[in-house]
Amino acid sequence: MFDYLANPTRFMRLADRLLRPLTLLATGLLAAGLYYGLLASPPDYQQGETVRIMYVHVPAAWLASLGYVALGLCGLFYVVWRHPLADVALRAMAPVGAMFAFLTLVTGAFWGKPMWGAWWVWDARLTSMLILFFFYLGVIALANGFDQPERGSRPAALLALVGMINVPIVKLSVDWWNTLHQPASLIRSGGVSIDPAMLTPLLLMLAGTHCYFAVIVILRMKSILAERRIMTMQLRRAATAMPPDGGTG
Amino acid sequence: MTGRAMNATVITPLGAQIRRDIALGWRGRGQALVMLGFFLIIITLFPLATGPDEAQLRPIAIPVIWIAAMLASLAGFTRIFADDVRCGWVDQVALSPLPLALYALAKAVVHWALTALPMLVVTPLMGLMLYLEPAEMPALLLALALGTMALTLLGLIGAALTEGARGGNGLLAVLVLPLAVPVLIFGVLASTPADGGIVTPHLMLLGAVLLVLLALAPLVAAMALAEAEAETGA
Repeated sequence: MFDYLANPTRFMRLADRLLRPLTLLATGLLAAGLYYGLLASPPDYQQGETVRIMYVHVPAAWLASLGYVALGLCGLFYVVWRHPLADVALRAMAPVGAMFAFLTLVTGAFWGKPMWGAWWVWDARLTSMLILFFFYLGVIALANGFDQPERGSRPAALLALVGMINVPIVKLSVDWWNTLHQPASLIRSGGVSIDPAMLTPLLLMLAGTHCYFAVIVILRMKSILAERRIMTMQLRRAATAMPPDGGTG
Repeated sequence: MTGRAMNATVITPLGAQIRRDIALGWRGRGQALVMLGFFLIIITLFPLATGPDEAQLRPIAIPVIWIAAMLASLAGFTRIFADDVRCGWVDQVALSPLPLALYALAKAVVHWALTALPMLVVTPLMGLMLYLEPAEMPALLLALALGTMALTLLGLIGAALTEGARGGNGLLAVLVLPLAVPVLIFGVLASTPADGGIVTPHLMLLGAVLLVLLALAPLVAAMALAEAEAETGA
């Protein structure tokens, strides 16, 4: 399947066909999830209404982590199998994942203020998410950090690959650091047994944000491919427009 | 491959590469001294910021030394490959029997010896200035030794990936520091001896991270250098 999609034109065609249904699916799922989450589900008996932030915070956190795994896989495909579209996918996914990581941190802060009385605490999960955000920024900075636009693809792919191997290590080390330094955990984990009335909107939001992620990434990939095509056409035009003796003689 | 053939194809070029790097590094030892100066200045800034109170300085002494070592090391990483790429040496290595990964490893070893060892030598003095006891030094030095080795390998990756990029030192810092978080966390924890002696579980975790990097970093650096070499060679 990946070989079939390696041709950019074929990928664009498939992407165009998928875009409409995916957008409808994403809109539908997100709308349903938000309706159930914000309106039709019960407030938590401990946290009250503020628990509703969970319906945005949890999908964002999940996608930020999944996004980085996807980024690492793109890196693997590019470095090992030299898949031509892997670096396009990498450049498309990185800012989206970064945005989700940022969203996780911000919604976490909004959740934390009424919960713990502080906008930020250095607990294991928030700190890991912050470092993941920095990982994303690094990949974006490296991919765009060269004068030649394409030159950054391979280093960024390698960095994403190295990051994917390192992220579990970082997560474990931050957990370790947190358990050793914090006397008592202030946060109970999201709830192993969660009320079905709260589970449904959460699952809807998760599914909806996945579709949203796919839609945005496809749109970005199309735009990156279009940019490259434009640049190639401009270069070709500049080359043919040059005088017969050429500029460099 | 027979022993002699192995010698001719890998060990001899590796030894030559290391000798070359030591000679070049020694000639440029002023830069290593600058990094050492940076290390000392960072440590000095903390008491200036917090005040001379021992009760405030002693708890943060070990973290301060670690962060100073990390930041001072960062200052030197861009130079690991820069000269060799610019003068075309990396192209020659790519054509030679010496694998790029071993070349990168040789670079890391010599870089660590020239830049991190001086920091390790000076650390006991700085520790005493931050109110650490002499008995606490062995654990700190052992952890710092392993930690700076791990950092050098991370710097190897960062330097190879950013070779030819704009943004130089800043970009390299943004790439390397998040990767260095486990080294920092385990390193600081390993710097205080536990009842089992100076080889604590934290030290073993730090060693594990170092081994992972030892396997990973030269390969990643070689892959990134192959790209850089292809670029500048054109």
